[in-house]
Amino acid sequence: MTKQKEHLFPASGMPASQLLAWVFIIGAGVLFYLLPNSAIAFIMFLASFLVLYKTPAAPLIKLPVAALWLCVIMPLAGLQNTYYLGVVTQAGIYVALAVGLNIVVGFAGLLDMGYVAFYASGAYIYSIFATTQAANFIHFPWAHFPISGMWFWPFLIFGMLIAALFGILLGFPVLRLRGDYLAIVTLGFGEIIRIVLNNLDKPINITNGPQGLTPIQAPALFGHILNQPLDYYFIVLVAILLIIIVARRLEVSRIGRAWAAMREDELAARSMGVPLVKMKLMAFAIGASFAGAMGVIFAAKQTFVDPSSFTFMESIGILAMIILGGMGNVAGAVVGAVSVVVLQLQILKQLSDYLGQLSAEGILNIPSQIDPAKYERMIFGLILILMCIYRSQGILPAKRRLASWWEQIRTRGTKKETEEGVDAARS
Amino acid sequence: MEQLLHILPQSLLDGLTLGFVYAMVALGYTMIYGVMELINFAHSEVFMVGAFAGTEMLLFLQSRGYLGTMPAPVALIVALMAGILMSGTLGVLIERIAYRPIRYAPRLVPFISAIGVSFFLQDAVRLIEGLWKNAFYLTAPSLFTSVITITPGLRVPAKSLIVILAALIMMLALNIFVTRSKWGKAIRAVAQDKETASLMSINVNSVIALTFFVGGGMGGAAGTLFATQYSLIDPYIGFILGIKAFTAAVLGGIGSIPGAMVGGLLLGILESTGIVILGFATHGAIGIEYKDVLAFVILIIILIFKPGGILGEEVREKV
Amino acid sequence: MLLEARGVSKRFGGLMAIDKIDFTMEAGQIASIIGPNGAGKTTFFNMISGYYFADQGTITLDGKRLTGRSPEHVAGCGIARTFQNIRLFPGLMVLENVLVGMHRHLSANLAQIVLNTRGMRREEQRAYEEARELLIYTGLEGKEQELAKNLSYGDQRRLELARALAVKPKLLLLDEPTAGMNPRETEEMTTFIRRVRDERNIAILLIEHDMKVVMGISERITVLNYGVKIAEGTPKEIRSHSEVIAAYLGEETPEES
Repeated sequence: MTKQKEHLFPASGMPASQLLAWVFIIGAGVLFYLLPNSAIAFIMFLASFLVLYKTPAAPLIKLPVAALWLCVIMPLAGLQNTYYLGVVTQAGIYVALAVGLNIVVGFAGLLDMGYVAFYASGAYIYSIFATTQAANFIHFPWAHFPISGMWFWPFLIFGMLIAALFGILLGFPVLRLRGDYLAIVTLGFGEIIRIVLNNLDKPINITNGPQGLTPIQAPALFGHILNQPLDYYFIVLVAILLIIIVARRLEVSRIGRAWAAMREDELAARSMGVPLVKMKLMAFAIGASFAGAMGVIFAAKQTFVDPSSFTFMESIGILAMIILGGMGNVAGAVVGAVSVVVLQLQILKQLSDYLGQLSAEGILNIPSQIDPAKYERMIFGLILILMCIYRSQGILPAKRRLASWWEQIRTRGTKKETEEGVDAARS
Repeated sequence: MEQLLHILPQSLLDGLTLGFVYAMVALGYTMIYGVMELINFAHSEVFMVGAFAGTEMLLFLQSRGYLGTMPAPVALIVALMAGILMSGTLGVLIERIAYRPIRYAPRLVPFISAIGVSFFLQDAVRLIEGLWKNAFYLTAPSLFTSVITITPGLRVPAKSLIVILAALIMMLALNIFVTRSKWGKAIRAVAQDKETASLMSINVNSVIALTFFVGGGMGGAAGTLFATQYSLIDPYIGFILGIKAFTAAVLGGIGSIPGAMVGGLLLGILESTGIVILGFATHGAIGIEYKDVLAFVILIIILIFKPGGILGEEVREKV
Repeated sequence: MLLEARGVSKRFGGLMAIDKIDFTMEAGQIASIIGPNGAGKTTFFNMISGYYFADQGTITLDGKRLTGRSPEHVAGCGIARTFQNIRLFPGLMVLENVLVGMHRHLSANLAQIVLNTRGMRREEQRAYEEARELLIYTGLEGKEQELAKNLSYGDQRRLELARALAVKPKLLLLDEPTAGMNPRETEEMTTFIRRVRDERNIAILLIEHDMKVVMGISERITVLNYGVKIAEGTPKEIRSHSEVIAAYLGEETPEES
């Protein structure tokens, strides 16, 4: 929020920059609606959210605009161009993962490099039961596999619980480790999970090993089977919304403060009564549970999972997102995730198509080895190095904020008055 | 059981050979950790670049027809020199570009930068080799092909012995350098206390650069030896090996040079014999595919129960 | 008896940092520990705080055993502290620093926070009020939204105190509260310490080098040297104690005036 007074309708006396911002936001929305196949319109449309976030205006104006853009313009344009709808849905999954990892890394300061393991556990728990796989090792007369699509919803919760359990299992032994050691151990944990998934096709076939699991049952809601791209778009949108709300509530709560204190000075935090183990486990478990839920959604959307979707690369990719966007900041995680996915799926892909086209036409002879789309490690690496050196706080640096009632408290009268209020409320 | 005893000596030898490679790479982690308190995550790629430099040198010698005429040990030494120089220089460059500007930032910042360097280098090598050779994996020419058969169950390839011998010589040289030479003492002084060392008119920046050169060089030599032992290399060989070498450094006690050597050998042997024994114990349910898991489990166990390692000291936070 | 230490020892390698110390404190008392540098004063504090486990002996607060307990448990029992080199949460706002001190007195659990329940909101509002009052009490009003690291040195010391008071301790450990302060600030701090005790009935144990502060404020003084308690008594007794004088004559008097 800015220091200047907010007007509901900032028309009068609106500075030129603000006017420009609104022109951009609305222009981008309209443009993308009219030209859903234009890459520039698409990127402008995505950028319009960042501009909207940065524009000083009352939430009462900003939120409906954002809702209109996300719930009307994007789906309409997405029906015209399913590729972009797919990009946005995939970006959305990464947004949710980045916000989740941000709780562990940004809020609590625990560098988790095996985050993808929790994502994998969610994806596999649903996939095993939503394919015929579970029939390999569960033989109850009443159990039929794949389970029906209605089970998708409870499995979102199971996925969260299983991932949270893994988070606690990992967290418990490693909590006393210092930051960089913790990072290496979590990395090891992530790799262990991947290797186990890759090999647990024997002695009992649980994960079907490197072949992966397919076809995964689509979710169903009141008899409707949700298997259209637009269905997943909305599922992911709702998931992101919930995750962001939870993350923001946690941030300003006593738990969020305890995390931040631990991150700043572990010993001082403990001496103020912050229970270290409990708080760290909580960060691990909550971050993991978000990944677990997203894993379930990912599995349903892809209808296919295999261990290669859950490599160390993915963990680093998500880490790069939050470092690019700004550690410890929910909005930063969103910006980082969208930027990285757009860079990968849009800019690099276009560049590589363009180069391929030039090669095919014989204008340039480019060996297939230098397909830019294959160099995502280099991109992630560069993002990490450059951000560390030049802007370690990220694109949108984290800003401490207090809960909304602080302003009232600050301006309100004496202690007596408030105590009466509290007493009245209690009785 | 009979069968197990048959296989064990061979896996012990394999473990020992790999253990020497781990030890040499672990030295780089431990030395750099000593002076900077940084886990140089990019060290695994310094190792990988060394493997490529050494292999490219051998391929160059081969293409010019020198390889057939010169004695194999000389060819190996030339390749090692290439690996050492390339990796040592790369180590210094990495420090200069990616770590020095953020030396005093919160400790996770240089660590994340190191991860970035590591990823960047993997693809950089892939890109360079792709442009140059149109393939990003290389096969090193074999230098030592004879195999000494001790028993039918234990065949010792000469190249393994060469790896062990070369590693021993280099580690001995490193030990003498660090304990006897003026520069070696300066490295140890900086590792003890940067500020005091700088008051004693030791140029801390030069010492850190030197450490990166020496540590990187050992990694590069290990890379070259690795290539001669296992032939096929690609830009991603560093990752897992690097983690294991780091495990070795932690196992021995991070910051301790003898610790890295002991840790490397121990890990190599534990890993190769451990997995064989586990395979037998579980009747093949846990086989060779879980080899990397074993190393990670060892790492986690040491960090939890003895974070100071075998030869290291436990450091308490100053209150 | 509020705090009671019996035969407490701590060894670091070959060094006997604390050697069989007995120490007691009454509720609402102001006491000081003095001694030359390296006498083991901070080590003793750290043992009470749960940073180091005693090799021997026991420490109890109100009869409850503290030895072997974690720092967070000790804080929960009612002991808060400040640090010789200020240890705030530098990237957090001033108000948040104080709120962290209240952690144990807030009860909102995960579900309540996620659901943003009325009870949770009310508790938080009350905590904000209380934190603000503590900041007024310590003279930091109007600085609630500044980051702790941007405060002046004196204000950082005040904030550390406010944060410690937020723990609602029975016993407050102050490790050199006037270090680095000018005479006027030292005077203010001394007055403030006495005020905290008088108004909130909190027992205060200080480590202090400034003899003027120690003699002026303490009801009891304990003198440590090389980890051993060499004297104990009222300021008057300590002033004339021969061993204390000898211990201090051996080196430079730490008093700065």
